[in-house]
Amino acid sequence: MSDFAIATENLGKTFGAQKAVVDLNLCVRPGAVYGFLGRNGAGKTTTMRMLLGLQRATSGKAQVLGLNPSVETDLMRLLERVAFLPQRKQLYAWATGAELVRMNQGFFPRWSSEMVPRLVQKLDIPMRTKFGKLSLGNQTKVALLLALAQGAEILMLDEPTAGLDPVAVDELQKTLIEDHVSQGRTIFLSSHQLSEVEQICDWVGIIEAGRLLLEARLEDVRQEYRLVIASGEKLPASASGDVVSATNDGRFFRYVMAREAERFAVELRGQGATIMEISPIGLRELFLHLVRKEETCTPGNAGEKLAHASSYS
Amino acid sequence: MLLHLNPSSGVPVYLQLEAQVKQAVAAGALRTGDALPSVRKLAAELRINPNTVARAYQNLERESVIRSVPGGGTFVADGVPGLLKSEKLKRLRPHARQVAVEGRQLRLTREEILKLVEEEMEKLGGEP
Repeated sequence: MSDFAIATENLGKTFGAQKAVVDLNLCVRPGAVYGFLGRNGAGKTTTMRMLLGLQRATSGKAQVLGLNPSVETDLMRLLERVAFLPQRKQLYAWATGAELVRMNQGFFPRWSSEMVPRLVQKLDIPMRTKFGKLSLGNQTKVALLLALAQGAEILMLDEPTAGLDPVAVDELQKTLIEDHVSQGRTIFLSSHQLSEVEQICDWVGIIEAGRLLLEARLEDVRQEYRLVIASGEKLPASASGDVVSATNDGRFFRYVMAREAERFAVELRGQGATIMEISPIGLRELFLHLVRKEETCTPGNAGEKLAHASSYS
Repeated sequence: MLLHLNPSSGVPVYLQLEAQVKQAVAAGALRTGDALPSVRKLAAELRINPNTVARAYQNLERESVIRSVPGGGTFVADGVPGLLKSEKLKRLRPHARQVAVEGRQLRLTREEILKLVEEEMEKLGGEP
């Protein structure tokens, strides 16, 4: 477990009767750029907060850099080595970027004074304006500057590009690669921008209703994952084994295969199916198939709908 | 170097990189001794994980398309040394098989398929 930058084992969090995170098992390799994806309220932020000791897990355990965030002494050491960019950046509104740098540098033993002027110039960060007066994009840049200069081994970014224009997103991505990932350091980010994730991330985890539906290396998704569209009678209607998701809109069965798509197609043909298409599947399509599978069923397939639901519970 | 990646094409990014470098070399856009950007620089330029670039470079080096000088950069290698003709043919055979299979699937004639390959050879210009 400690070989991973971040690992969780059956991690869970309940708020009263509401299950926010259920039996979560994450494995984030050192040096990975890991995209943690899910709809609003899927449990992404709660998970991040548990990893940072901001919220206590109700069950299971977590390790970040081999340290346990729910143990006080571990947490202090962990927070020196992990930087977090929350969605709402709660830095002092009255302080300028330059003042924030002065306040922060004393806290972190690995602080890089060399990096500050370099990033200020590269990202064109206004350092003399009060944080509260900055645009959203510039607030993100200041927060990123503080996080990178901290010399953290893991950057946790909660929706880092929300509200940024495309040029700012592009600059941000370049900086993350150049000044963090290139040193073998890890990024764990949550996002809804699937095309950005597909670009910069090499691992993805997809969470829905607190449960991890998929964790995969993106190069494997590109190489192995295929969408198989078939028509026929009484074809398999639920996910199992290599079948990551199965949906039926009344006319066509759609299967997302994690591997062996060709062999599966041969099996389907053996059951009298006509194969309409076997095609690669992009991250957006994969995400939609996984998290929206209930909605794509027609009312006439109520039984199969239950089968889908039970295959993940 | 002009590289274009399509992250959702169903082809792993390291393979896209390998193919594009090979193509640039085959088409003469990259010549023996030309320097390639460092792993770190190319990764930043393409906004992808340096591990992905490193994987492509390692494979290209193993195939003698490029060579890296420790601490001194990465360069286009001078041809494919030390490979027997039979080994070269063995390496190309799966690609030839795929062209044949796909061509047959599309009901193209033998002449049409061969013509296609010849056209691609034409595009690359004279013999190396």
